[in-house]
Amino acid sequence: MLGYAVRRSVVALGLVWVVATLVFLVIHLIPGDPAELLLSQGGFAPDPAAVAELRTQLGLDRPLPVQYGSYIGGLLHGDLGHSLLDEHPVAEEIALRLPRTLELIAAAALLAVVFGLPLGTLAALRAGGPADRALSVLAGVSMSVPVFVVGTLVVLVFAQKLRWVSAGGFTPFSRDPLEHLALLAMPAATIALGLAAVVFRMTRSSILEVLGRDYVRTAMAKGVAPLRIVVHHVIRNALIPVVTVLALHLGTLLGGTVLVEYVFNWPGLSGYLVNAVEARDYPEVMGIVLVISVLFVLLNLAVDLLYALLDPRVRHA
Amino acid sequence: MSFPVSRRAFVAGATALPFLRIEGARAVTPGVLTFGLSSFPPSIKPFANTGTAAATVKLMIYRGLLSYGKDGLLRGELAESWAPDGQTAWVFKLRDAVFQNGEKVTSADVKWTIEQIADEKSTAFFRKEMQGVAAVETPDDKTVRIVTREPNVTIPRLMASYHLPIISRASDGGEPVGAGPFRIAASERGVSIELEAFDRFFKPGLPKLKGIKAVAYKDENLRVAALQAGDVDLIEYVPWQSMEAISNDPALVLDTTDGPFMFLVFNGAKRPFDDARVRRAVAHAIRREDIVKAAFYGRGSTLEHLPIAPESEFFNPEFKNAWNYDPELSKKLLADAGLGGGFTCTLLSTAQYGMHKNTAEVVQQYLMAVGINAQLNLPDWATRVSLGNKGQYDIAVMGTAADSNDPDGLSNFIDGTLAPSYVRSHGLKIPRLTELLAAGRTEFDTEKRKAIYKEMEKVALEEVPIAGLSWRSQGYAMRKGVSGFKNLPGALTFYSGTTFEETSIA
Amino acid sequence: MERRDLHRLAVPLAVVGGIVALAAAAPLLPLADPVHIEVSARLTPPSEGHWLGQDEYGRDVLSRAIWGARASLAVSFLAAAIAGIAGTALGLLGGYFRGVVEILTVRSAEAVLCFPPLLLALLVVTLLGPGAGTLIVALSILYAPSYARVAYAETLAARNLDYVVAQEALGARSGRILLRTVLPNVAPPLLVQFSLTVASAMVLESGLSFLGLGVVPPEPSWGLMIRGARSTMDQAPWLLLWPCLALTGTIVALNMLCDALRDVLDPRGRTVSANPFRAFVSGLLPATEPAPAPPALLRVDGLHLAIGHGPGALPAVRDVSLAVAPGETLAVVGESGSGKTLTGLAILGLLPPVVRVTGGRILYTGRDGTTVDLARLGEPALRRLRGDELSMVFQDPSASLNPVHRVGDQVAETIRAHRDLSAAEARRRAVALLDRVGLPDAARRARAYPHELSGGQRQRAVIAAAIANGPRLLIADEPTTALDVTIQAQILELMAGLKAQAGGMGLIFVTHNLAVVSEIADRVVVMYVGEVVEEGPVAEVFGSPRHPYTAALVASVPEGDDDRLSAIPGVVPPLHDLPAGCRFAPRCGLAEPACTAGAPALESLGGGRSTRCRRWREVA
Repeated sequence: MLGYAVRRSVVALGLVWVVATLVFLVIHLIPGDPAELLLSQGGFAPDPAAVAELRTQLGLDRPLPVQYGSYIGGLLHGDLGHSLLDEHPVAEEIALRLPRTLELIAAAALLAVVFGLPLGTLAALRAGGPADRALSVLAGVSMSVPVFVVGTLVVLVFAQKLRWVSAGGFTPFSRDPLEHLALLAMPAATIALGLAAVVFRMTRSSILEVLGRDYVRTAMAKGVAPLRIVVHHVIRNALIPVVTVLALHLGTLLGGTVLVEYVFNWPGLSGYLVNAVEARDYPEVMGIVLVISVLFVLLNLAVDLLYALLDPRVRHA
Repeated sequence: MSFPVSRRAFVAGATALPFLRIEGARAVTPGVLTFGLSSFPPSIKPFANTGTAAATVKLMIYRGLLSYGKDGLLRGELAESWAPDGQTAWVFKLRDAVFQNGEKVTSADVKWTIEQIADEKSTAFFRKEMQGVAAVETPDDKTVRIVTREPNVTIPRLMASYHLPIISRASDGGEPVGAGPFRIAASERGVSIELEAFDRFFKPGLPKLKGIKAVAYKDENLRVAALQAGDVDLIEYVPWQSMEAISNDPALVLDTTDGPFMFLVFNGAKRPFDDARVRRAVAHAIRREDIVKAAFYGRGSTLEHLPIAPESEFFNPEFKNAWNYDPELSKKLLADAGLGGGFTCTLLSTAQYGMHKNTAEVVQQYLMAVGINAQLNLPDWATRVSLGNKGQYDIAVMGTAADSNDPDGLSNFIDGTLAPSYVRSHGLKIPRLTELLAAGRTEFDTEKRKAIYKEMEKVALEEVPIAGLSWRSQGYAMRKGVSGFKNLPGALTFYSGTTFEETSIA
Repeated sequence: MERRDLHRLAVPLAVVGGIVALAAAAPLLPLADPVHIEVSARLTPPSEGHWLGQDEYGRDVLSRAIWGARASLAVSFLAAAIAGIAGTALGLLGGYFRGVVEILTVRSAEAVLCFPPLLLALLVVTLLGPGAGTLIVALSILYAPSYARVAYAETLAARNLDYVVAQEALGARSGRILLRTVLPNVAPPLLVQFSLTVASAMVLESGLSFLGLGVVPPEPSWGLMIRGARSTMDQAPWLLLWPCLALTGTIVALNMLCDALRDVLDPRGRTVSANPFRAFVSGLLPATEPAPAPPALLRVDGLHLAIGHGPGALPAVRDVSLAVAPGETLAVVGESGSGKTLTGLAILGLLPPVVRVTGGRILYTGRDGTTVDLARLGEPALRRLRGDELSMVFQDPSASLNPVHRVGDQVAETIRAHRDLSAAEARRRAVALLDRVGLPDAARRARAYPHELSGGQRQRAVIAAAIANGPRLLIADEPTTALDVTIQAQILELMAGLKAQAGGMGLIFVTHNLAVVSEIADRVVVMYVGEVVEEGPVAEVFGSPRHPYTAALVASVPEGDDDRLSAIPGVVPPLHDLPAGCRFAPRCGLAEPACTAGAPALESLGGGRSTRCRRWREVA
């Protein structure tokens, strides 16, 4: 088991390195120059000499292999580099924003599971019935309305009309726990809407499949109460594929909450990534991609562990 | 700041009473104004141009020799008076003021500031202009004499620019220290900047506010929602579609000015836009009212000549509709240029900013009507700037403001001898224009300047170095309780941050 | 089932097909020019000339919605298709060849998953320039790894199938095996994946358009329409409604199509119809006249079972009667489809939801001496009997045990379902039971998971659970079929031993294995296409069959071997096309015209024997 973990980690590290190199190449390949861009803000034409000077100061005039070498060198010393815009340390910024994105995703996942799982189970137990049909259409709707529309409507209702919450933003938990949670609730619910639909669909089909298994019939033959059969025999087995899909979705959310962060002014990692790409802030883009890749790999490991917890066959394999 | 509704209620409501509202849950500091920015300043460097959001913050924390008053006219700031001294020198008399580090503002600081900007290692916006300064003489602590290599009538305007604040020479190597009414107390990158009043600001009784909290709201819908919900007191860059709702809201005040403008630039380095007739054909092909309506929701006005504001003393009424919408003329000009059968070209804009995208969509339709099949290219802004600088386009949509209401500001857009830039047509050199612009810059007599610029505009209307499209309304919106804040007129709208010193909040 | 499948697919197919057809026909429809602007009429509400209103440029919204479908559908379908082909190829190769190929294909495709999807899109779009083509490339890259994953997993499973191994042994080329054999096997889950990807791509298209990374204006797409409408939400909310409705409708239809496809293509998806919980709501039979004489244990009287409802219902079991006395072992013999298993399930009230009792009685006299009709008993009362007085052992012990629970707990579950015992006490009893069914080191095995036991051990555990509460009647449905020969003998021995110990327990042994029957049963009932054809004491029935079918069965048992029934000429008739008269006549050597004229009745021969053959005297 340990050997397996080591082997996997080595492959994963290789994967992260490949991803980092690829991103490094591509981000330098696409048009746009950070120095030129920074000094061209607001539609003004900068003095080309000033741009050239800034490029020198930022080290962007060096050949690409040299820049790559120095970046990797920095990485090996645990240095993610500094922002090209204001020399802010990238690691510090990520450390500040990553927890917020993780919190957002965790809250969304929690909501999605809390709603998706029981409703998916209900729909499966009533498969083909009116409740099932209604829920399926509802899931289709919540899957397909874009988050930037839902988000805007949520702000309109809860912030502008009802005035229960601020129109987006972020308050540290330490400053005001209640406001923190209130501000978290809106974007988390917006993400959860689509995610719950996915969990719902997965749960429904998975439960239907498990319901047809022999051991469910055996449990019935034993005279076990229906509720216990669902809870004890069906859900746990049905959960295994649901966990896989949910984990995969959470993984993509790591850098994919950008629209929600934008609509709710949530200062997380995704919005930061988009800003960094728009500003061609190379070290920031690289830093975020590295962190997200590593997290993704860790998430996959965590899912495997969760598998083992759910399915003893995996545990003993 | 009064705040009628609670945010705690949202959480409380989830557990107890759904419609419970608790008064005053949000901590409100009296005298602190919350300001909704359109973007977080990428960096705040006193001399470099890092955008209009940064400029607004710079106007809070720094002061220059001169500034603009609410009427849009130059006024003394750290300097109490200024005057030309012969053809190539300007003399500024400083008043008593202290920097935020407690040091007195002296002529040596001014000299040091100009040297920093002109330095070989400088990335300053006015690097080239300050390299044109031959010497900065400091006869005494209160007097600065700026000697230029060539006569330059624009020196006072440069000294009023937010790119030219006076910085204490004691801050050499460290954090730049200015003499503005506020200083940065705290900043969370990408989110907000908290400023507190500088108690030794040189203007007695100012600033009136205890502090400002500037919060970035990148999504314009959310920025407006935050104002309407009472989360912020003042917002910049009011989206045009929201202006009507805001001006109809009794609790809010909308303050707009037609300052920035949209225009087209051409690739003059290759066919067909190296031909002035083809450029004129484009200028006459577009119905500008539709741009004002579609891109700016009617909040703006048409621009059928060079971007010289009607309020400016250099405005030439006879040219007002020189590039009027006349598709027949447009077709004729194309036919004269041998392009009667129409042609295909690229139209560069960006999808990152709605106004650029929307303007391009309208322009494309009208070009189609005269036989020009323009293919839209809408990359992100960074790519668009890069393509523009390299001249990889045929026509491109641009939007900006001049750096002042002075016609010399137009050089930036129409002087083809300047370095290639995405803000002006690519490779389009019109020697006569360059001559006239240079003449205007060195002429101290206003009437003679007017004549020069009138001649210049006449040439430009024929040659079409750029094609004006529309003025756009630039708006601030605030709660009724905010007073003293003013949107400065015309091109100076981005200088409105100056008036934070007089702003107060009820 | 073919026609039923088509019926299920018809509605979603029609909706999706309609949307696609509408989009495809856009150039032929009398629509306004979707890019023609009329700024003076911007944001006009729906009118006669513009049914859905005009947008922020005064363009016709109806026309844009239909033309926009072209871009949105083309992007999502093409991206899903390209990703599907590329991803499937990678997954097939990786799963089939494993080793280095797997690293080069599946694992490297997974590297893409490390990228935040938005960054990927941003980079691809910035590199190639925005537009529908770029969008297809970006989305294809994004979705290919998930196809690769699905294809890989399915290929791994298919690779070990007998016929794949056989083809390899015969030296077939790998490419041919992959294309001809493996691909069709992995196709159903991939098709479902396809429809999921299309839906997801449509949502992403709108998100990317919002960020300016999507389709290039002025060409319409639903995403662009939503983006444009969001800024005019205050003035013209309906502009937001149309594209959202179009998107939602298409995605709901696609989801429905995908569900139906999965049910039709994926045999595992058919479980919808096997959902046992739906039996709870099925109606009960009308009461009949009081039973004549209460049985000592169980008597099935004229049982009729039907598959499905209405006129299309298939009579799966017809007029089946049988009885078991306390301490007796009754074997029910027949080929697959004879109705023997359904009869067993009917006794416990565990029929699949599509099967209904349409007539007859299942009389059971319980421990307390009262007689009930199990066919009319409510679910709660039935549940109290199941696992307590009535028990059942199923065919495949691996499938009967829940893989995620410990064996001991699964035995204890039966006890706790009926006895108010502490968990510890139930567990202690479970260990004792496991010991009793001959599981060595029962205390340790009780803590094992099913996959840690051998097949024979699992069946012992299942039996332990079945006898946990000392049932009065045990129904064993082919309990030895899934086991190998030596284990079969041990299990039979165990069951015989248990029965001897339990004294009064009745046993119904459902099997197709005649050797087993003669070893264990007292009496035998022979069934053929849903009817009892012969009944009687085992030795007599097998010694001198009185029905040609029984005779053929006995004759088909190879000497010295106990395996499958075979070599009866002809085929078993399908339920929907049963021959008139004697059901066996088409395959019967003794059949005469009278046999096909009228259905023979079950005729009592005395001595507890009966047969459903007119010419039983002539059966040798």
